[in-house]
Amino acid sequence: MSETAESDQLLVPARMVNEYVYCPRLAYLEWVQGEWSDNLDTIEGRWVHRRVDVPTPRQVPDGSDTPEPAHELTARSVLLSSEVDGLIARVDLLEMSGRLATPVEYKKGAPPDNAARAYDPERVQLAVQAMILRANGYHVERGVLYFAEVKERVDVPIDDALVSLATDAIRGVQAMASSGRCPAPLVDSPKCTRCSLNGICLLDETNLLAGRGDATTVRRLVAPRPVARPLYVQEQGSVVKKVGDTLVVTAPDADPVKVLSKDISAVVLHGNIQVTTQAIRALMEDETPVMFHSFGGWFVGQAGAGIGHRNVSVRMAQHRALGTPLQGRIAAALVAGKVQNQRTLLRRNLPVADHAVTGRLAQLARQSRTVADRDTLLGMEGYAARTYFAAFPALFRERGAWAGAQFRANGRNRRPPLDPVNAVLSFLYSHLVRECTSAALQAGFDPYVGILHEPHHGRASLALDLMEEFRPLVADSVCITLFNQGELEPSAFHARARGVMLTPKGRRVVLAGFERRLEQFIMHPVFGYQVSYRRLFDLQARMLRAVLLAETAAYRPFTTR
Amino acid sequence: MRHRWLIAYDVSEAKRLRRMHRLLDGYGDGVQYSVFICDLTDVELQLLREQVLQVMHQAEDRVMFVDLGPMSGRAPHAVSFVGREGISLRDKPGAVII
Ligand code: SF4
Repeated sequence: MSETAESDQLLVPARMVNEYVYCPRLAYLEWVQGEWSDNLDTIEGRWVHRRVDVPTPRQVPDGSDTPEPAHELTARSVLLSSEVDGLIARVDLLEMSGRLATPVEYKKGAPPDNAARAYDPERVQLAVQAMILRANGYHVERGVLYFAEVKERVDVPIDDALVSLATDAIRGVQAMASSGRCPAPLVDSPKCTRCSLNGICLLDETNLLAGRGDATTVRRLVAPRPVARPLYVQEQGSVVKKVGDTLVVTAPDADPVKVLSKDISAVVLHGNIQVTTQAIRALMEDETPVMFHSFGGWFVGQAGAGIGHRNVSVRMAQHRALGTPLQGRIAAALVAGKVQNQRTLLRRNLPVADHAVTGRLAQLARQSRTVADRDTLLGMEGYAARTYFAAFPALFRERGAWAGAQFRANGRNRRPPLDPVNAVLSFLYSHLVRECTSAALQAGFDPYVGILHEPHHGRASLALDLMEEFRPLVADSVCITLFNQGELEPSAFHARARGVMLTPKGRRVVLAGFERRLEQFIMHPVFGYQVSYRRLFDLQARMLRAVLLAETAAYRPFTTR
Repeated sequence: MRHRWLIAYDVSEAKRLRRMHRLLDGYGDGVQYSVFICDLTDVELQLLREQVLQVMHQAEDRVMFVDLGPMSGRAPHAVSFVGREGISLRDKPGAVII
């Protein structure tokens, strides 16, 4: 029986044919784009396979030279292939009696309540295994599905009808892989609720924006907010260590704090923090990125997870879009979204309505939506920003009035920020860039290849694109709240050589405010369900990806009213 | 959504005991001798159960799982202590800022 050679890549795995029959898009996402995500089903499935996943050391004899009379033999986890058919399979259990071979596939749960006592994807998977066995000289009459929990065997006869079903599916897989196009999501299918990739596939969302089916209600299948959150370490001189299977952070003059790896999505470091090599290794194994900010707050970069996303097609699509009308349309949508949200923030928070300003912003948002020329677009964006920041100081009232007054004198400035409001804005923007960089990497983007922000050495241009619509809603609104509620007072800042900087205590207040905001639920205006802001970054990144991959026609920025 | 679980074990051999302690320490906080409080999603619970089965001796040891309910409900207040000070359980999830 041929052990697999270099030609592996070209062979279609039986498991992929199974998934193709379940849903072509699932097969594509998993096998062509390299997406993977666990849910309860996949974990339980692996658990059922644990005993059969250890290969039997014994050599399986080739069917063609098995001597008669038969000798009985079973083998676990056998890798089989047929170069002629272009197929490969790992058989959980192979029962042999002379030339008669019976592949056994382990399944979780109980047999379904239908005539065949089996679902088509599994029947087809067994048929593919049978085809490979036959090509290797074996005689196969049936396969078996073994439901481990209830210890029940279901016979699956490998008849002509099933083989032709399998042959069609194999052709489908081959055509799909060579087309390089991700199949559309299933419409209104109950299968999606159980699919482990539903949070990545965004089936109803994609169908809605592509105008497929009559999807008026979008099922919320993504978790409304991620359970894991960042660990921020900003107390200078802290040490992050691995102790047992956990991380322990020790700040100077403080008790060590234990952090569970399952609870953290990223480790965010400010300035001079030590992380042991063992800790970095453990984080890498968990695919938890370590993200570095300079002492002043600037986002420097990240190490670890996310760098090697296997989904090349997204990166290729990013490059292909450069210089096309599509790039212009997305850029216009990004600017329009930001300006619209700037207007919303002013309309909601200005003590006295200023229709001249909000009206101008509304008009700029409307006009920018259709601007094709890049320079014109950037001009409008700049004009909107000046209009917005001229009105901005009025948002600081009562306990925040002092900060607004200083901002009024300086206007928006950075590097270094000259007053507290500017210091907080810069700090928040750099954390927003970091969140958007994560979201971009998760969605398979190259964060350096921007659409509105053209590629520029050492700048996460695409993350800057993604963050535009969120600047007013996340960063600016947190800034206003923290000052107005008196959480940030002059003591939270100190003057540096030229500019103004947050003290460690001030940084902590701002990070806590930022985190509170990211945890907040908001109604998605297009999809009609509640998600947290942090989840929204992922969602928007994936919707941008859908546009670049031509799954949907136009990018819809997130806007609130 | 996460539930809060009280997990207690009887493990009869020293090496397995150390391994069990280390395993649970990665999922939650030890609150008493051989008792842990862990906040787990259904996926995390399943992963933990599988690892517990691998560490324990199924005929000689026993591990108890008590579901104290969803973290959004009364679970955060389901456990309280009297006597020696020193343990405070997390009551709401959120980013850790140090
Ligand atoms: S969520 Fe539905 S459409 Fe998307 S991959 Fe899964 S089964 Fe297919």
